[in-house]
Amino acid sequence: MAASVRHLLKPWTPSLCLVRWSRYNPYYLDPDPSKDARVPESELSPEEKELQELKTVSPIKAALSSDTSSAFNDPLISKFINMMMQDGNKILARGIMTQTLETIKRKQVEKYHKSPAAKREEIECNPYTVFHQALENCKPIIGLASVQKGGKSYQVPVPLTDNRRRFLAMKWLITECRDNKHRRTHMYEKLSQELLAAFANEGNVVKRKHDLHKMAEANRAYAHYRWW
Amino acid sequence: MHFLFNFDNTHLSTYHSEGHSGQYYTLPPTHIQKLFPYGLPPRFQLQIKTFNEGCVMVRPPALELISYLKRADYSKPPLRYVLYGDIGTGKTMSLCHALHYCYSQGWLIVHVPDAHLWVKNCKELLPSSSRPSRFDQPIQASQWLKNFKITNERFLSKLKTTQRYVWTKRESTEKGQPLGELIDQGVNRMKSSSDVVGAVLRELRLQAGGATEGEGAFKLAVAVDGVNALWGKTSLKKEDRTMPEELTLIHNLRKMMKNNWSGGAILTALSQTGSVFKPRSAYLPSELLGEEGFDNMEPFVPVSVSNYNEKEFESCYLYYLDRNWLQHPHSRSEEGKKELIFLSNKNPSILERLCAFL
Repeated sequence: MAASVRHLLKPWTPSLCLVRWSRYNPYYLDPDPSKDARVPESELSPEEKELQELKTVSPIKAALSSDTSSAFNDPLISKFINMMMQDGNKILARGIMTQTLETIKRKQVEKYHKSPAAKREEIECNPYTVFHQALENCKPIIGLASVQKGGKSYQVPVPLTDNRRRFLAMKWLITECRDNKHRRTHMYEKLSQELLAAFANEGNVVKRKHDLHKMAEANRAYAHYRWW
Repeated sequence: MHFLFNFDNTHLSTYHSEGHSGQYYTLPPTHIQKLFPYGLPPRFQLQIKTFNEGCVMVRPPALELISYLKRADYSKPPLRYVLYGDIGTGKTMSLCHALHYCYSQGWLIVHVPDAHLWVKNCKELLPSSSRPSRFDQPIQASQWLKNFKITNERFLSKLKTTQRYVWTKRESTEKGQPLGELIDQGVNRMKSSSDVVGAVLRELRLQAGGATEGEGAFKLAVAVDGVNALWGKTSLKKEDRTMPEELTLIHNLRKMMKNNWSGGAILTALSQTGSVFKPRSAYLPSELLGEEGFDNMEPFVPVSVSNYNEKEFESCYLYYLDRNWLQHPHSRSEEGKKELIFLSNKNPSILERLCAFL
């Protein structure tokens, strides 16, 4: 009984300060952690000088703990890690991502060292460019939305925003690797295989993107049902 | 500062001297297959597979060991060398470097890649056929015998047994049989493989410095990685859930560590990563070996292995650049290099893991 009363008497502060989860006022600016953020005044045009003035005066949102000021920080990779994360286990998700990048690099560098000098320039060894290019190849250009008209719902082809396209590409990659592969292979192996296939425009994810495009092409007649 | 030895590789280890510290030399692929089918650290094996070559950096601890080996007197009992250092500083790699030197000099190699594997996670633990209170590990013993055969093939037909060994009522190896037969016996009959290991070690001890004729004389190099496993606790249990006191393999290895024979050297390395029930911060010989181990190993020559210094880090960085391993554009700049130094503290294994995904 004494222990529970003592718990009520000590000053309580929340262990987690929910700054990011509350809705920020729109005039809060995003933080820019890179070292090149500060450019000397002489190199800026008048509009950029105004922006710089604003930055010194207006408030800035709190930075995420996963952002670093080093140039190794990649926002696309961070987004992918967040999407792969389950139950808040960021350490595991980040570990899987680094292992994936390592596996991609190993496969490509092995191919590089074993091939003759003529073919070496075509092999892309940088895992980051492979990842970016593979993601680009998986992004759908046009999507489908369900519109109800006259009691029946139709699949209407609809343009997608950039964020939505990036989200769909990452989601397809992750679900493909989680569901459609052999149970006993590690996630990083499955991911590296899918990424290398997407880099070469093959594999299941690119096929899914092509299927979506074909459906949208087939439903062209219903495009007028879109009012936005 | 870094420079790859691209020419005649056969006796390169002998030519290493102080001036070569920080430079890389290539292990010939035939040697890797024969000497190290199992002995190299797993990440280094991956690196060999990726780069299509095995390159080792020449570092002061390995040079020190090799210079001691060159100058030792082999008519006296063997000297015990213990490589110690913090985690990831390169103890196993230095041991493998010195072992490659011994192999290129034509010594007979007894290499236990990791003694911790004999002390934990064993699937089969049989009560010994020869002695009542001992326990056998057939899988580990037969695996080791197969690897021993691959490494030392040319010695197997030359050496003969000095004693008659009886395995079961119907099987026995007579006196004067070549050692190859003894090893085949152990590989084929899993039940007695641990006893065969003991017999092989005993034969080698007796014959190492003994023979005076030019043909029969050979030098014996005993290399054990993770020596602290021999005198530590086991995590193995018998069926009725008590820990075994004596394992045949461990007992025979402990006999090998004593210097009551002559004509060789004992190279060992401590290891905390595979050890059972030892804290992560322990790296000194007295902490890892324990009292019993220290008393048994004393007197020994300690060789300390530490993180890279400036020159070695430069050399490693240039090697990775040369092999097209550092792909991220920022890692190739000066600032990226400073970041790598900061993140890894010039620790070889951490640097390797960092550069793997950059």
